[in-house]
Amino acid sequence: MTQPYDRRDFLRAAGLGAAALALGACNSQGPREAEKLLRYATKKNEQLERALFSHTHMNEGSPGAFVAGRRFPSYHISKTVPVWDPAVRGAWRLEVGGMVERPLSLSLDDLHRLPRRTQRVDHFCVEGWTAVAGFTGVRVRDLAALAKPDPKAEFVDFESFDDGYHESWDVESAMHPQTLIVYGKDGNELSPAYGAPARLQSPVKLGYKNTKYLTRIMFLPQQNGGYWSDAGYEWYGGT
Amino acid sequence: MPTILHRHHWIVRLTHWVNALALVIMTGSGLRIYNAYPAFARKGETFPLNPWEGMAVPSWLTFGGWLGGARHWHFAMMWVLVVNAFIYLGFIYLHGEWRDLVPRRGTARDMWTMVRFYLWLDREHPRQGKHNALQRMAYFSMPWIAAVIVVSGIAIWKPVSLGWLTALFGGYNWARFVHFMAMLALVGAALAHVFMVFAVDPYSLRAIITGGYDESRSPEARNARPFVNLRPPRAPITAAATAAASPPPPTSPAETAE
Repeated sequence: MTQPYDRRDFLRAAGLGAAALALGACNSQGPREAEKLLRYATKKNEQLERALFSHTHMNEGSPGAFVAGRRFPSYHISKTVPVWDPAVRGAWRLEVGGMVERPLSLSLDDLHRLPRRTQRVDHFCVEGWTAVAGFTGVRVRDLAALAKPDPKAEFVDFESFDDGYHESWDVESAMHPQTLIVYGKDGNELSPAYGAPARLQSPVKLGYKNTKYLTRIMFLPQQNGGYWSDAGYEWYGGT
Repeated sequence: MPTILHRHHWIVRLTHWVNALALVIMTGSGLRIYNAYPAFARKGETFPLNPWEGMAVPSWLTFGGWLGGARHWHFAMMWVLVVNAFIYLGFIYLHGEWRDLVPRRGTARDMWTMVRFYLWLDREHPRQGKHNALQRMAYFSMPWIAAVIVVSGIAIWKPVSLGWLTALFGGYNWARFVHFMAMLALVGAALAHVFMVFAVDPYSLRAIITGGYDESRSPEARNARPFVNLRPPRAPITAAATAAASPPPPTSPAETAE
């Protein structure tokens, strides 16, 4: 026969339960043994996300939403806003290289002369916020059409002059029609706070995948991680 | 005499505890993700319906340690939650337990009868079967709330690949709001459930662990309200009990026959 249960037992049980919960959770990262399982889940999730991905799924930029304008958060990892100084580094150019038939080296004027696209889209941050902005630039797929990458180049690395920040992508996401090399925002020239002279922007990837302060686009046979991907965020980071 | 009945099938017990664990981890990691941006407004806008806009959740309520860690847990445990839910729902559908959980004619009236009893307006605990009507509605609602959480969660996870789904919620920010509010409803229901287990029917813990339930200690048998009549009822003074307490008769019928 179990002991009868009274109010004191209730308080004891409730206290124990609360203590166990507090000790167990308490902002912990969970048991180390789980890491392998978590990595497995991330891999399987990525396979599913890639299966769901399509070049015909477009982001409409939340019709009716306000354009964030100056409330659009700026982001860089350098201590100060990275500014390209031609006196120190020479004229800025965007290189397209790696496994390509015709490597490119484009000035900002060259970019301006390529087919221009303006899109009003959502920008999805891994933190959970979104911001709407109008971005003007060149589709990465249009650059690829000029550079003619090897079909075996399944990944693209986007490099920057922001303290070595870079993020590599799957080539399918890079070729999405809404993935742009952006040089204009909300009708103005892109400002240093938002990644000038040119940055990557696409609604199909989370914000951290969108390299600002671009210098080089490399077509690669394997993925090359990235600043936040190497720090433990999902490498795929798709939306 | 205790009358031990087999109350919960092992599949129900197993899925209950897997669900409890998954729910705790999903909630904790979800709150950690929420804390990275504890608001629903788009940048440059305000959000009309959230009284706690901008207020972070205390970190001891969160799980995952950091945003990336919480995301890994959230996106792994979501499969456990969903697969477990399908096993549970499939089982109760095939095995018939759904009959104790789906509201039927009279459930609203029975809920009111239970409320009257808990408010001391009625003297006797109503007898409404395996679950009383309040439990029936709670256990019936929880899978539906969970379904809203899962679908809104998918809408947040893939707002471009599954943009049509996100649009059904009125866009990403509203999907996030629905996801959060439905979580509050489910966690509220789960906390109420745990409270009632300890405050009204702690003997049901045995039923959800081993399956056995002592009907002589049921809330109906004890006439239990929260914190009232938690102890099992004293053995009623019946003819049999009186006979057992008095000295045995000098001879048994068998001996007489000899």
